[in-house]
Amino acid sequence: MKPIRTDFRGYEGQYVAVDARTGDVVIADKDPRVVFEKAKGRNHVVVHGRVPLADEPIYVGLG
Amino acid sequence: MAAFRLRTSQSTSALVDRPLPWLYAYREDAQSTRLDGPVFRPFVPVSLAHANRSTLLLSGLIDTGADSILASNLLADQLEIDLDDHDGEATHAVGGRVIKARYKTIGLRLHPSDADEARYIHWEAQVGFIEGWHSDGLVLLGSVGFLDRFTVTASRFAQAVAVEGRETFDDRFGVVGLPE
Repeated sequence: MKPIRTDFRGYEGQYVAVDARTGDVVIADKDPRVVFEKAKGRNHVVVHGRVPLADEPIYVGLG
Repeated sequence: MAAFRLRTSQSTSALVDRPLPWLYAYREDAQSTRLDGPVFRPFVPVSLAHANRSTLLLSGLIDTGADSILASNLLADQLEIDLDDHDGEATHAVGGRVIKARYKTIGLRLHPSDADEARYIHWEAQVGFIEGWHSDGLVLLGSVGFLDRFTVTASRFAQAVAVEGRETFDDRFGVVGLPE
């Protein structure tokens, strides 16, 4: 399968939600509550999380 | 050969018209890059449910190195869960940080790859809610509560993950015992 790509450039420091079918960012805001509110009632939209700033350390694993 | 397997009831239910396995393409992770290239991870769409409330669709990261399911306490707020009335507390090291999780048994829903909100498999599990979680939309899907509910096959080569019924592993490989 081809992985689903998302262009996160320009959203650094913001929380984003993406369309699961395309990977496109459809909602972005610095406040996660705003993203949750705007995503209500939008099917196929997944709240992905926060896009890190360029100088933030890279997670190699979470568990 | 000694063999044993603890079996518990599979209390999952489904609102789906599509049988397992469910296949998911790897997705690009906003959290990481490696040598200026994208990092692809096994994300699956999930939502959390409690009483008559449910969250939006969230990014579930399948993590075999995690022992439990972890999520932001912001999601507990959305579900109106009183975390003072928790099942237990634990301190974990996650992503290089020390965090405290307050666990509560709630409903989880796994959705198909197109993240159709109306189609899901539902089960109950303990979720550890964390204050100051680094990414509020992210749900870490670890061993207890997820990998004991499904057989998960992840392939970075295929760039995909397959989720099947948990008995599938034994059907495919037999019950694995201790080495003689």
